[in-house]
Amino acid sequence: MPSPVELLAAACLLLGTFLMVVTGLGLLRLPDVFCRMHAAGKAGTLGVVLIILGTVVAFAGTANDVWFRGLLAVLFQFLTTPAATHLLARAAYLCEYPLSERTAVDELRIVLPSRPDQAFNQE
Amino acid sequence: MSPFLSLISTICLAALLATSAASLYRMLLGPKAADRAVAFDVLANVFVGIICVLCVWWDSVLYFDAVWILTLVGFLGSASIARYLERGRVF
Repeated sequence: MPSPVELLAAACLLLGTFLMVVTGLGLLRLPDVFCRMHAAGKAGTLGVVLIILGTVVAFAGTANDVWFRGLLAVLFQFLTTPAATHLLARAAYLCEYPLSERTAVDELRIVLPSRPDQAFNQE
Repeated sequence: MSPFLSLISTICLAALLATSAASLYRMLLGPKAADRAVAFDVLANVFVGIICVLCVWWDSVLYFDAVWILTLVGFLGSASIARYLERGRVF
């Protein structure tokens, strides 16, 4: 019978893995690049943070304790992933990447004028 | 590590490898450059998870430094791709 600490570590690892699988599914099946960023930015961040926390819990109390490096990794993850996703979404919108045809309303278009002269669209 | 956590980490490793295959598919076939950048972001996160699960499986923290270093490198990659898409140059 596994100990409660092992059960907690296993729960964190399995939940994090489930969220990463959800991220992969969203990356495959969502219609446009902004929806895919929605999957990658939220479920992906929480999934990898839960996996790191599960590893920290699994090694807690043993000879090689990694809580400091683990918490550092979680901190970096929470600092960097939203910023990276925001930068990518802004770049994709300014480059006139097409929205899905099922998009109902585009409120950013009213605020932000399009800049076709500066758009540098790859491919 | 105990046999219970070995079993759990094996299951997690299989699921994470399937996720990395999905994001590689999106990286190869993504219609535009931003789709590939998003797939790269997810792939960096999946590799962080794979390193963590392998640490549990092997009962070794030898590679745990790669976790936070890979987080920072993935951010730099995504940020520079975004700047290149937006302005046509990185710096």
